[in-house]
Amino acid sequence: MKHLLPSRIRHKLNGWIVISGIGALAALLPSLYILTGLLRRPSENWAHIQEYMLFNYAWESLLLTGGTVAATVVAGTSLAWLTTAYDFPLRRFLSFAFVLPLAIPPYIAAYTYGSMLSYTGSVQTFMRNTLGWSVDQRYFNIMSMEGAIWIFSLFLFPYVYLITRTFLEKHSASFIENARLLGGHPVSNFFRIVLPLSQGAIAGGASLVAFEVLNDYGVSKHFGISTFTAAIFKTWFGMYDVDSAIRLSGLLMSFIIGLFIAERWMRRRRRYHLPVNRSTPLRRMRLGRVSGGIAATVGIIITLLSFFIPVAQLAVWAVWTYDDVWNDRFFRMIGNTLGVSAAAAALLMVLAVIAANASRTWRSGITLVSSKLLSMGYSIPGAVLSIGVLAVFISLDKRLAGVYEAMGFGANKLVLSMSLIMLVFAYIIRFLAVGFNAVDAGYDRIGERYSEASRMLGHGVTATFFKVELPLIKGAVLTGGILAFLEIVKELPLTLLLRPFNFDTLATKAYQYASDEQIHQAAIPSLIIILLGVIAVCIYQWMGRRGST
Amino acid sequence: MKQKYIVKSMLAAMAAVLILTGCASNSGNKNTDSAGASKGDQVVNVFTARHYDIDFAMFDEFEKKTGITVNEIKGTAEELVERMKREGESSEADLFITVDGGVLNYAKESGVLQPIESETINRNVPAELRDADNNWVALASRARVIVYAKDRVTPDQLSTYEALTDEQWKGKVLARSSTNLYNQSLVASLIELNGEEQTLEWAKGIVANFARDPEGGDRDQAKAIVAGVGDVAIMNTYYVGQMLHSKDAEEVKVAENIGIFFPNQETTGTHLNISGIGLAAHAKNKANALKLIEYMTGKDGQEMLTNGSFEFPVNTAAELPELLKGWGEFKKQNIDYAKLGVHNKKATELLNKAAWK
Repeated sequence: MKHLLPSRIRHKLNGWIVISGIGALAALLPSLYILTGLLRRPSENWAHIQEYMLFNYAWESLLLTGGTVAATVVAGTSLAWLTTAYDFPLRRFLSFAFVLPLAIPPYIAAYTYGSMLSYTGSVQTFMRNTLGWSVDQRYFNIMSMEGAIWIFSLFLFPYVYLITRTFLEKHSASFIENARLLGGHPVSNFFRIVLPLSQGAIAGGASLVAFEVLNDYGVSKHFGISTFTAAIFKTWFGMYDVDSAIRLSGLLMSFIIGLFIAERWMRRRRRYHLPVNRSTPLRRMRLGRVSGGIAATVGIIITLLSFFIPVAQLAVWAVWTYDDVWNDRFFRMIGNTLGVSAAAAALLMVLAVIAANASRTWRSGITLVSSKLLSMGYSIPGAVLSIGVLAVFISLDKRLAGVYEAMGFGANKLVLSMSLIMLVFAYIIRFLAVGFNAVDAGYDRIGERYSEASRMLGHGVTATFFKVELPLIKGAVLTGGILAFLEIVKELPLTLLLRPFNFDTLATKAYQYASDEQIHQAAIPSLIIILLGVIAVCIYQWMGRRGST
Repeated sequence: MKQKYIVKSMLAAMAAVLILTGCASNSGNKNTDSAGASKGDQVVNVFTARHYDIDFAMFDEFEKKTGITVNEIKGTAEELVERMKREGESSEADLFITVDGGVLNYAKESGVLQPIESETINRNVPAELRDADNNWVALASRARVIVYAKDRVTPDQLSTYEALTDEQWKGKVLARSSTNLYNQSLVASLIELNGEEQTLEWAKGIVANFARDPEGGDRDQAKAIVAGVGDVAIMNTYYVGQMLHSKDAEEVKVAENIGIFFPNQETTGTHLNISGIGLAAHAKNKANALKLIEYMTGKDGQEMLTNGSFEFPVNTAAELPELLKGWGEFKKQNIDYAKLGVHNKKATELLNKAAWK
């Protein structure tokens, strides 16, 4: 693409580059700290880890991630296509309801399903006590590899669905309608037009899913699956070997960087720049009565499984435990959760926009690699990242000791690492990928012609950004912001370790109960987390609708 | 018009962030300021890996009694030790609370603890439940017992942890995953008592007798027994207590249908998992910290704790809840808990070798 850019633009160092350079450096420190773990001399445990854990555990992780990505891509893409290209009963409701599972943290879903399908759960109890059936436990065993893929797919497919749908709604109309006019069969249209066209969006969504699965510990631990993350924690918590745990995380990170480069390389020649930006939305074709009925039924089943059934179950448990669990402190927890999530999501989006803009204006190996490195925080377990963050902040605090003393905090004080700044910083590193992917996809959609035109007409990069690009990528920024907010509301390991004294959030409260197998007691905080997520999704839908009219 | 709006909203967002983080760090500072030696007699800062409501209730009670505010940071034990290590002398931690003797010893070995010097505490907690150098003392314990299906197994078929590897239990034994601390700690204790080789054989024997691959938590093992998946399971007593008091009638039924057997009564005794509290090496509110330990190990604190969590108290003066009384006296493993920390790594390796998932 370089030849398309006038050389004046290509070589100019500007404020964007400088700011994003500094930001990248700061955000990279914890990840770099973990990567350097690979350079240190391996501890005496390494041989054991290699022999008994490394390969088996990596293999299980690959299976889990591969299975989930495949399932979410199939479900997410076909549902996105179904709701944009066709009209059928309940379509409007379903296209909204498919986003809702994002509000449920997968580990809460795993506990809920695990408990619901267990011997004492509502399903088996009903069969046993009301219907008088005695059932074989094997058919109800969700705590397995297949069960984990099932849980992850049900609750993560909205990433692929949402990003692909946003893309298809706004930008596929001209291609699809031409194909339809030319008499293409709907199925071949889907495979020959829709899939190649939206591969960028699908890849963006799928990579978020893959990251989420790779860094998960809650689901795999509860289900007893030996994932790579489980190996990291066994090394750390079982063998007390932090350095080897960091080393394993470094390996995981470099594997993911490799994946990134491979994906980028494979897609390097396949870029679709769409001729029109604000094209008319795709005209939906009405499905017949039978196929419409089938579409609606499948949709309803998916929403029931991925949202309404688990929420109803949690609601029952919430009623059971209301007297024991509910107290006034929940209001503070809600305030804490909302405040810190909104603040971190807003800051994160500012950085994501700066990074995406820089990596686009200044295409080079370094910007590409560093923009990808910025996303690395999403790929490793939060607990390990938190060690990287702690390492950076505590050494910063020690360096600033003189300044603190001069400011009257007293000698030998930890200021930054005892404040919320550390937690907000950690959130940003962890979820920058979410914001960055969305903004990057937004830029991908508008192509370069507007920016090029604006710059050739004499605007600088900054003026071009505010006057031309930002209005065009507003929707993408909003998507990224909402997704990041949802993630932060649900986040656990970072919040647990990096928060200041007495700073409780809903997620830490839910964890407190769930970690001690008190899943019923965890229902109230979980439901509030879900409620906040649903509100965020509603706001997003409402703004999206207002923006498109 | 539009871009002005966007610029404004971006600026507003950034301002909001600054204000929010600013406020929060101020409120954080307020705590840490008063935690300093200059003013400090009203706070104590706790790094805790125990996340139970009963602990918070005890802190509240302590606050009411003494006027000393308890501040907490939570996390898993190993994370908190790592944090204290890195913070070094500047650490704000006064106390470290966690489950498992092995981790307590790891904290001690990591140099983040110091000796607790209090006659009251020494009277409250028997010597065998304290660290040799008094770096930590136990707060409570749970017994890791064998539970069995009342309708299919009689207690006289059971004897020891070791006997679970017998042929008669083939395809009938249930236990959770080896990532779990309780299992690591049990295996560490067996290494101390029976040696490494014998324990590896034991773990292999258990794996060979598994009714299914390990999954779920301790409660799930109990449910699996009643569901008929297996006949015997290794689990902690306090979960049985919690299940008996569950709001879910079905869980209560499960707990009623399983029997509790305290193994190794004729031999080495039943394995205990202890929760404990350690004094941070750089505690800045040492006097308050000692007061909190004294309260938590005192008769009142201990009774509150055991009634809330169904753990066994460490202070013999504390009255047991009815349920625990009903289980009767039993012989406990008599080992140095510090050894569990020493053997924990070996235990993890051994479980890997035995392919205990």
